[in-house]
Amino acid sequence: MHTQSPHDDALVLYEERFNSRFLLGTALYPSPQVMQDAIEAADCAMLTLGLRRQNPGGGNADGDGDAFWQILRESGCHLLPNTAGCRSAREAITLAEMSRELFDTPWIKVEVIGDDYNLQPDPFGLLEAARELVEQGFKVLPYCTDDLVLCQRLQEAGCQALMPWGAPIGTGRGLMNRYALRTLRERIDVPLIIDAGLGAPSQAAEAMEMGFDGVLLNTAVAKARRPAQMSAAFARAIEAGREAYLAGLMERRQTASPSTPTLGQPFWHATP
Amino acid sequence: MNATPQRRFAIAGAGLLGRLTAWHLLRDGHAVSLYDAGDLDTPPAAAWTAAGMVAPLAETVVSERSVYEMGQMALDRWPGWLAELQASELWHQHGSLVVAHPQDGNELIQFRRDLADTLGEGALYQELDGSGIHHLEPDLTRFRHGLFLADEAHLDNRELLTRLLGAIRELGGECHAHTPVKVHPGEVTTPTGTHHFDLVIDCRGHGAKTNHPTLRGVRGETLHVTTNEITLTRPVRLMHPRYQLYVVPKPNGRFVIGATSIESEDRSPISLQSSLELSSALYTLSPAFAEARILEQGVNLRPAFRNNLPQVTLSDGLISANGLFRHGYLLAPAVVEHLLSEIRGHGDNPFADLLDGSAPRRPCRESE
Repeated sequence: MHTQSPHDDALVLYEERFNSRFLLGTALYPSPQVMQDAIEAADCAMLTLGLRRQNPGGGNADGDGDAFWQILRESGCHLLPNTAGCRSAREAITLAEMSRELFDTPWIKVEVIGDDYNLQPDPFGLLEAARELVEQGFKVLPYCTDDLVLCQRLQEAGCQALMPWGAPIGTGRGLMNRYALRTLRERIDVPLIIDAGLGAPSQAAEAMEMGFDGVLLNTAVAKARRPAQMSAAFARAIEAGREAYLAGLMERRQTASPSTPTLGQPFWHATP
Repeated sequence: MNATPQRRFAIAGAGLLGRLTAWHLLRDGHAVSLYDAGDLDTPPAAAWTAAGMVAPLAETVVSERSVYEMGQMALDRWPGWLAELQASELWHQHGSLVVAHPQDGNELIQFRRDLADTLGEGALYQELDGSGIHHLEPDLTRFRHGLFLADEAHLDNRELLTRLLGAIRELGGECHAHTPVKVHPGEVTTPTGTHHFDLVIDCRGHGAKTNHPTLRGVRGETLHVTTNEITLTRPVRLMHPRYQLYVVPKPNGRFVIGATSIESEDRSPISLQSSLELSSALYTLSPAFAEARILEQGVNLRPAFRNNLPQVTLSDGLISANGLFRHGYLLAPAVVEHLLSEIRGHGDNPFADLLDGSAPRRPCRESE
């Protein structure tokens, strides 16, 4: 059984240790100030950022990158560039190579979108991109569906952590397929981070209670009326879920069993 | 009006703020020199690229309550100012419409919730069904739910900028096009020399970035199309989970559709993806737009501080006003009234606490 204390319970991804299990996205905030406050309240392990559309340094002669990138750098958080918006392995690989140069980091969240409406990952393109990027020495975090065989193939391709979805991006529906997610947790032995689809802290806590290693989200915080308060709420839910997992949840039972036996005790009915 | 002694002002930046301020100061009887790095007839200002909406409710949803309050001043001031410019026909206060396709109905619910959360229940909108929408905009037949924000307005912004320039010249304002400047207290340095003034007012938007370490540009892209197959009387906002776009009617069958919002300072032409997003939003609003002709693509940088709210910094001999972000026509009246009351030493200044950027701002988080 787990006896680990949460205090030395670091998240380890590609042999790097993180003191938080919360990964936060940087899109959709009403202002950079609000985003900064939310990042601070989240105390997160990593910040994801898309560079497909936000072309850092584009048209900027002084070469120090655009103002928005400066703000992200100032946060002091680990940056996790992503390949959001890519629709083929080739696009994702090219963008990953660009981001490695721009941000001087081997980390990449690989995202290959297969369907435009629900932004569902394309498992075939994803696997192809992941293989190539692992080969190139990237630390690949693939955004994938909850399909067991896909996750096994990604692991075989050399991914040392996987990021299955809870639900489609931005839907806030929580863990849609608990059976599949539970199967993944039982069968996959690299860190698993639930990425996308979470809308409420209780859903994040549930994922952590199930034994997932971390949670990545964006919309649920950015679109909250008070994002900093919401990111603090998620941070606590993620910690609570993790501790509950380490503590070991009881099994559900059919029959009620009172925690304090009352029947048969003298004077039980005479309590004031 | 002419009781104040005449002073010499320099204004850097001939966008909306620069022109409005120049016009008011000239009418107060002062001497004004207006400088812009670009052209004055088709200015590089964000105000030229903008769609010219004055939408305090809809914009509050993406910002905060103060935007609503400053926006109320815009609804109050614009009709009078336009009348004084003999340009009342540029002002259209017919409200605005917010719609979503049936599958995106939750976006309307979220919009209503955000409005109520910021402004309290009973906010000033009206819920519409399909026939209500059809009644207001007979050419919009695809929507079954929408919101009508009755107080909102839009104006013909390019014509307004042109009229302001005409009025400035008529009042004897000195206008310098294609003249990039450096500003200092009481001084403006052009490529040909340094000129002295009683007060320098810096309204350069993103052009003043070197003077403001926390100012950034936010890329926005628009399309201008024309068609006579469809008529709209008021701006229509289309709510969608991934982007919120609006179309604003302009004179002569012209429509402006905008705008993307991308955290980048890249001024290169519109991307194919943005152009697809903008045009398909327009097409889903009404298929009658299919044969519209694309006249123009616009790309510009909205000047913004980190909280996306405007700031006015006052010091001896130099005032700087900047950061109106995506709310130029909505917030300019409040910012200009603030500037004028500081310069005149009297007048309405209800937003002093909000706009005053001289007070130290909260420092950015230190790196770990």
